[in-house]
Amino acid sequence: MKNYFKTAWRNLLKNKAFSIINLLGLSTGISVCFIIMLFVQDELSYDGFNTKADQIVRVLFKASINSGKINEASVMPPTAAAIKNDYPEVTAVTRLRNTGGSKILYNGKKYNKELFAFVDPNFFQVFTVPFLKGDAASALLEPNTIVITQMLAHKYFGDEEPIGKTIQFSNGNTLYKVTGVIEAIPSNAHFHFNMFGSMTGDSEAASDSWMTSNFFTYLVLQDGYDYKNLEAKLPAMVEKYMGPQIARSMGMSLTQFRTKGNSLGFALQPLKDIHLHADSTAELEPGSDIKYVYIFSAIAIFMLLIACINFINLSTAGASKRAKEVGVRKVMGSGQFELIKQFLAESFLLSFIALLFSYVMIQLALPVFNDLSGKNLHIGYSFQPMLQLLILGITVGLLAGIYPAFFLSSFNPIATLKGRLSASTKSLGLRSGLVVFQFFISISLIVGTIIVYQQMNYIQSKKLGYSKEQLLVLPNSWALGKNETVFKENLLKDSRVVNVTISAYKPAGPSNNNNSLVYPEGKENQIMKIVRYDVDEQYIPTLGITMAAGRNFSTDFSTDSSAVIINEAAAKAFELKGDGVGEKIVWMKDNDANKATYTVIGVVKDFHFRSLHETITPLLMTLNPQWGLMVKVKTADIAGLLVSMKQQWINYNTDEPFEYAFMDELYNKTYVAEQKSGRILSIFAVLTVFVACLGLFGLATYTAEQRTKEIGIRKVLGATVTQVSNMLSREFLKLVLIACIIAFPVAWWAMHTWLQSFAYRISISWWVFVLAAFAAIVLTLFTVSYQAIKAALMNPMKSLKSE
Amino acid sequence: MIQLKKSYKYYNTGSRKAYVLSDISLDIAAGEFVSIMGPSGSGKSTLLHILGLLEEPNDGEYLFLGENVSHLTEKKRTELRRNQIGFVFQAYHLIDELTVYENIETPLLYKGLNSSERKSRVAELLDKFNIVGRKDLFPSQLSGGQQQLVGIARAIAGNPKVIFADEPTGNLHSEQATEIMELFKKLNEQEKVTIVQVTHSEHNATYGNRIIRLKDGLVVQ
Repeated sequence: MKNYFKTAWRNLLKNKAFSIINLLGLSTGISVCFIIMLFVQDELSYDGFNTKADQIVRVLFKASINSGKINEASVMPPTAAAIKNDYPEVTAVTRLRNTGGSKILYNGKKYNKELFAFVDPNFFQVFTVPFLKGDAASALLEPNTIVITQMLAHKYFGDEEPIGKTIQFSNGNTLYKVTGVIEAIPSNAHFHFNMFGSMTGDSEAASDSWMTSNFFTYLVLQDGYDYKNLEAKLPAMVEKYMGPQIARSMGMSLTQFRTKGNSLGFALQPLKDIHLHADSTAELEPGSDIKYVYIFSAIAIFMLLIACINFINLSTAGASKRAKEVGVRKVMGSGQFELIKQFLAESFLLSFIALLFSYVMIQLALPVFNDLSGKNLHIGYSFQPMLQLLILGITVGLLAGIYPAFFLSSFNPIATLKGRLSASTKSLGLRSGLVVFQFFISISLIVGTIIVYQQMNYIQSKKLGYSKEQLLVLPNSWALGKNETVFKENLLKDSRVVNVTISAYKPAGPSNNNNSLVYPEGKENQIMKIVRYDVDEQYIPTLGITMAAGRNFSTDFSTDSSAVIINEAAAKAFELKGDGVGEKIVWMKDNDANKATYTVIGVVKDFHFRSLHETITPLLMTLNPQWGLMVKVKTADIAGLLVSMKQQWINYNTDEPFEYAFMDELYNKTYVAEQKSGRILSIFAVLTVFVACLGLFGLATYTAEQRTKEIGIRKVLGATVTQVSNMLSREFLKLVLIACIIAFPVAWWAMHTWLQSFAYRISISWWVFVLAAFAAIVLTLFTVSYQAIKAALMNPMKSLKSE
Repeated sequence: MIQLKKSYKYYNTGSRKAYVLSDISLDIAAGEFVSIMGPSGSGKSTLLHILGLLEEPNDGEYLFLGENVSHLTEKKRTELRRNQIGFVFQAYHLIDELTVYENIETPLLYKGLNSSERKSRVAELLDKFNIVGRKDLFPSQLSGGQQQLVGIARAIAGNPKVIFADEPTGNLHSEQATEIMELFKKLNEQEKVTIVQVTHSEHNATYGNRIIRLKDGLVVQ
């Protein structure tokens, strides 16, 4: 054993250049693979910390009303109780309601607002969160009780006993008694509230209305029970509980509603799927996408394979150097198995040295990767990641070493000792195939990266139907109360301000969100749930939205309080006459059949108020200005403007700090997941290409070495340097071109599929492929030509003499 | 000890068979020192390889130590090579990456000796061949004669019954050659090791007690 590693070590030292190429490649491969492994493990671990994680499902409301799709994670208040009541396979139900929260008051001091949710008293029996003080089962039984994290307890109460203390919120008079202190919610959870208030006694939570929804509802199923079985039974519940209420408010039975091509019902989603399939509207937190888990896993595997291929190619290409040794050892009585062990020792030794390098690389790269991915991954010194790293090293040693070991150990001793072995040609086919594979992956990644960047660029420059530039958003201007209007008027006096609108509805970034049930007058069966914006007269000009027909809201018309402006998509969906102006629509305000009729006074051109992943849906605007300011400015001195705005803000003496955001930045944040993935993808693409080129460089070196004699003869016969170096480069170029031909359709298909997730997307143009091919060819030439030219410049007599 | 009966070795070149050895029969008794001679291309080396179980004859029978080895598995042949046979080459064929000590030790590793057994055996050989001082050198740091000395030490390390030497002095000048041949003679006489050598030199052939002459694949004498 010791002997194997000793010889292995000497061989590594002897072929320094190749050892370095292999080490660089393998350690890069291991590092990338390991970092992605950490990333993927983290992604897959979401919510797994709950002891009942496999039994918990979340209820989703899914409906399709007049082809408008609804997919909501928050459902109606009585859903939980109804399910618990009707289905014994559900052992527990619990609900969570997200609240905006406000400043926290304690002992005369004000603290910043925290992420705050109301939950059912049994919440902590469903979700496993360790209690440091208080009792998980009983803490929230009483009304107006609250459980907070240890961090907050320390912040408000210092070292004093938190249990029994009462805190208050700045937007209400209720006193909340602290009855429990918990650890912070783990980072891999789909929610991260710091305060959980009791829902006990809350009238909305006790409501039996199936027409409002705000409650995230979780079920605990019997151990081993398949949630699909329960899901199949839920339509009966819709019939039983929702049916009557729908009939009352819509004036048609559920059956009638369904025969019109509508659908409505509940679906269940396993707790552990939430993070990676977070595609419902109004998620508690933006989730991730399983797609990226797949893409990154594939990249990790490819990266490792490419590094292993380098080792395989360089080992088999350099086989002639080792052939004599194999022959001698066999003559001395070594069997093939002993030789396999010996060669494996080399690949293992190399992969373990690579492992050490990787450890350093990973430590250095993780902060950068965390920055890019928004994660907090680390390896530290704990056992599990070390073990995983070790397993990765063994895998690499085996993957890289097994083929060369069999190949090298199979040599015929007589042939090798006579120097008759043409080992390099024997495995040439395989090597070429592997090089093609490496470049197939590299070129595909280059194409992928370019297209991701193009789409991101498209998103940036897309005409959105409104102007996001120089648009300031003041999200908490609601705190100004009546002064909101005063502030607005003052801002308008500033020459740097073009326009100001009061509205909490923003086409990008966190925004108020409201849906309304609306139908064109006289056509109740065309009822649909559409997005509603509460705006003022300045909303349309401030955002630079274009009118398609009719007019904007105006103070000149007192009747505008019962007027609406709709977008083109709505006009089309309602099948309104003409341009739609003057038509009447009915808005059903709540379940009490409280209806109001509105007149369409204008139609705006469609603008993108959702992300470009989604098509523009019908939208309705009503005149109801409150709770938010948006300021269109025109100045190079934004900083100065902000200072004077802040000055005024302070004068109004609100509790809220002066906060602002730029609309274009909010817009960009919508695509942060894609941008992150794009950046990560491009880094991986560069690394993959780098490792593949390393291998190519090594192979070129061997080829040049092995063909020294041939090159010598050719030069004696009159070949020029250019001819010789062309000859050597051509073979590699051929392989890269074959890789291009295979990569193009695969990359096209993959990127085409990716682009489908955007309702608004670029079309893939041919020049992307040309560019990728060109990049690959230039890189190949650059990598290979050094060796080719070196070989071609050599004095021919030198190489011939040595033969 | 070695009995080769009516053996043939040929290669298929196109439609015709090119015979390297034809109808070779020979007997070598334990303790003999045999020299195989013949012009280039007469099949000497092939014969030696067949005798050394590195190649198989296409036809004929080969009894090694009384055992028919014509159709043994590669594993069995390796076993025999490991325990009964030592090889010495014209080009020495030491492993460049290993020191003198390690080169001699290698066959012992394959024989499965434990480390103390190996240590004492290698020490014994180093001492015997007077190369203790060079044990940590690599082959490239040795002269040809010294390399061949190591080659022989390595060949006899596993206490083989027979040594096959393929022109062991072919790359050496006469003084070194004599030293090597004397060594072979000593091994043959004192330690009763059977030796079969291929040589071009009539002088070297005289160290042995029998000469087998080959010409065009046939035993001529």
